[in-house]
Amino acid sequence: MTAATEQGAKRGGGVSWPVLLVGLAIVSPLLWILASGIGKDPHDIASPLIDKPAPAFALRTVEGDREVTLDSLRGKPVVLNFFSTWCVPCEQEHPALLAASRAFGDRAAFVGIVFEDTRDAVTRWLDRHGGRGYPVLIDVGGPAAIAYGVYGVPETFIIDGGGTIRQKFKGAVDFGTIRAALEEVR
Amino acid sequence: MTHALLGRILVFLALSAAASGAVVALAGGRAPSDGRTRLGRALAAAFAWSTILAAATMIIALLEHDFSVKYVAQVGSRETPTVITIVSLWSSLEGSILFWAAVLGLYTLGWLRASRDLAHEDPRADSTLGVILAVGAFFTLLIASVANPFLDTPPPVPMNGPGPNPLLQNHPLMIIHPPMLYLGYVGMTVPFAMAVAALLGGRVGPDWTRSLRRWMLIPWAFLTAGILLGGRWAYDVLGWGGYWGWDPVENASFLPWLSATTFIHASMLEERRGLFRGWAMVLVLVTFALTVLGTFMTRSGVFNSVHSFTQSPIGPLFLGFLALVVMGSVVLLSARVHALAPGQPLRSPLSREGAFIVNNLLFVVFTFAVLLGTTYPLLAEALRGTKVSVGGPFFSDFAVPLGIAITFLMGIGPALPWGRATFADVGRALAVPAAGGVLTAVAFYAAGIDHAATLLALAGAGFAIVVALRDMGAPVLARRRSRGEGLGTALVGTLRRTRRRVGGQLVHVGVALAIGAIAISSTYQVQAEGVLRPGQALDIGRYHLMLEGTRNVRDPHRQRQIADFTIYDGAEKVGVLSPAMNRYATAMNPIGTPDVRSTADHDLYVSLMHIDRGEVGLRAFINPGVSWVWIGGAVMLLGALVAMWPARRRAPTPVAAEAPAAAGGGA
Repeated sequence: MTAATEQGAKRGGGVSWPVLLVGLAIVSPLLWILASGIGKDPHDIASPLIDKPAPAFALRTVEGDREVTLDSLRGKPVVLNFFSTWCVPCEQEHPALLAASRAFGDRAAFVGIVFEDTRDAVTRWLDRHGGRGYPVLIDVGGPAAIAYGVYGVPETFIIDGGGTIRQKFKGAVDFGTIRAALEEVR
Repeated sequence: MTHALLGRILVFLALSAAASGAVVALAGGRAPSDGRTRLGRALAAAFAWSTILAAATMIIALLEHDFSVKYVAQVGSRETPTVITIVSLWSSLEGSILFWAAVLGLYTLGWLRASRDLAHEDPRADSTLGVILAVGAFFTLLIASVANPFLDTPPPVPMNGPGPNPLLQNHPLMIIHPPMLYLGYVGMTVPFAMAVAALLGGRVGPDWTRSLRRWMLIPWAFLTAGILLGGRWAYDVLGWGGYWGWDPVENASFLPWLSATTFIHASMLEERRGLFRGWAMVLVLVTFALTVLGTFMTRSGVFNSVHSFTQSPIGPLFLGFLALVVMGSVVLLSARVHALAPGQPLRSPLSREGAFIVNNLLFVVFTFAVLLGTTYPLLAEALRGTKVSVGGPFFSDFAVPLGIAITFLMGIGPALPWGRATFADVGRALAVPAAGGVLTAVAFYAAGIDHAATLLALAGAGFAIVVALRDMGAPVLARRRSRGEGLGTALVGTLRRTRRRVGGQLVHVGVALAIGAIAISSTYQVQAEGVLRPGQALDIGRYHLMLEGTRNVRDPHRQRQIADFTIYDGAEKVGVLSPAMNRYATAMNPIGTPDVRSTADHDLYVSLMHIDRGEVGLRAFINPGVSWVWIGGAVMLLGALVAMWPARRRAPTPVAAEAPAAAGGGA
């Protein structure tokens, strides 16, 4: 292409400046716009909820034995994880969440909320994937998922002791991510 | 030899042949010699066969489940059906670029064959080949460097793989939609190369323009098919009841289609009147740039879309290539456009030329607006740091008026004579079609359509169809009268002589049908939602959807949850619809399969939202007229086929293989 271009310029009489200037005026901004998008993830939309009060919820656990509300967890940071049994990344991150809840359970509350799934499936899934180290809540009809703007599972929210959402993670989280996030909100 | 090693050798061969062939052929275009032409063509053939064999090697590796090849380990799976295994070739980034190169290889062979008589006479043929090979060198360089599918899997070699992207497995259209688009995109390389060659050589001429248009029509037809199939796929899979959502990647395929359509019309002006010679070349260059932009959109991860592959280092490389193409084109144009002999001036705006110019103007505005809407989110983020999304309403705001104007113009243009017309001529030529348009609108109004823009679009479609039918039919009747032939003989004889015009007018009929259908379906959709248990029913329009029950079906590669609905039209049972939710091992979210009951009048479309312990959430739509979008599309493709069909008993020189059009000619 460049070779061809130079060759053309050499053989032609002169350059048509209007064509060159108009052409460059059209293509340069376009290229600049496209270049500005490189390296950014279009899916990575910062949640509008960050630094806003976390929406309250009151949901029953999978076992059905008690109700957990966000208010009852005030005072400690909360790691709120939306997941499903039918999602592969959820399976991948589950051991990391269990490990983190064992390591940081004294200074942070861990809560799972089931997204679009059934009680039986969740019970079986938890038994198969290392049990439950923290309360897992059933979100019947999905009001919590809607309030938190859950787009796809897994999504994990870090809420500080004052009830403000500090961070949101899309996709599987690992132990290091949770540790770093909790250190930040402390 | 392992598949991986063989593949790497073939890719390397293709790269060296393309790079050296580009240099030789471009040199041959500048300083023609038999030796350069022969060597250039030999290297081009080597490039073409290497890429085709490389793709074949990958298909064999996929079929043999050779997981020692990295790409196979990435997208292969023993459970995947054989057909899906073959099309896994383009299910992921690396494979799709390999497939891309192989398609360019096929086009290269096509060009070699078509230009075999011309190559030693016209240096532009060498330059064309040089540019094609330069593009080929870029793609093979990508394969050899950052997107090599033939790398070895690091040990241990797995026994099985995850299988391709579930979207690919979910619907049979995914087997043909991507290759159609690729054939369209990649095929634009040939007209681009021909335009660059014409500018380099400082010469266009009617023969070169005709040949260029033919080479443009081929990818245009594939692109048309690809866009239609994509729309059909979205309709059948995505479950929101529509076929077009102005998604960035849909726009990416629509943009070059618009500019290619503009060129096809501009080239007729150029060919017939020598008008706007440089402009037609600009449109070819723009079309190719838009196909590269489209590839960038799908491969760079910069745009948010259902189609995009994940982020990869390929984005910046594509951007560099795009920059090279557009900057090179601008420089080349500015240096050479005055070398193209100026054409005659426009004699009167009231003429077919005038209509073509307005047509070009409308299409260019359309293209610009779509481009603006597509790139605006990036612009907003770059300037203001905010995420915005540009939705359907923005696009509809300009697409509706422009679409209606283009529909009317589609009728006005072919009805006007070349050169100069008086108002009396225009009145006579348009009276009958105008009556047809009014009648169409009245008929639909009587049938209950009262939305103004929809009626206007229908009137335009009726008007354009009458013009097209008259334009196709009049020569047949004239021939029958003058020669006293039977209707059949006259039809065949005329078709043989006016193939291009008939093809063009058939495309117009198809477009008019599709536009009418789009106008109706986008304004008269009926929607209903509900959550049902077995035995319960949802009412939509005159239909009554009774949920009979749900069932689970386990396929090797997925699990399907199906809900069965009995459909009553009033009290009469008319059929069963069974939409499903499919869960794939590799997918985070389930993928739905809506079910549709199509009639000529409307579609009943049922899509599951969720399905869960016997409870089914569903959305149902009545989409009027949708069948006619596909019928119109099929007519467009038929028209393209008629226009492209090789003329019989013509000189074998491919560059002049087009029969001179008897008179006028749409397309």
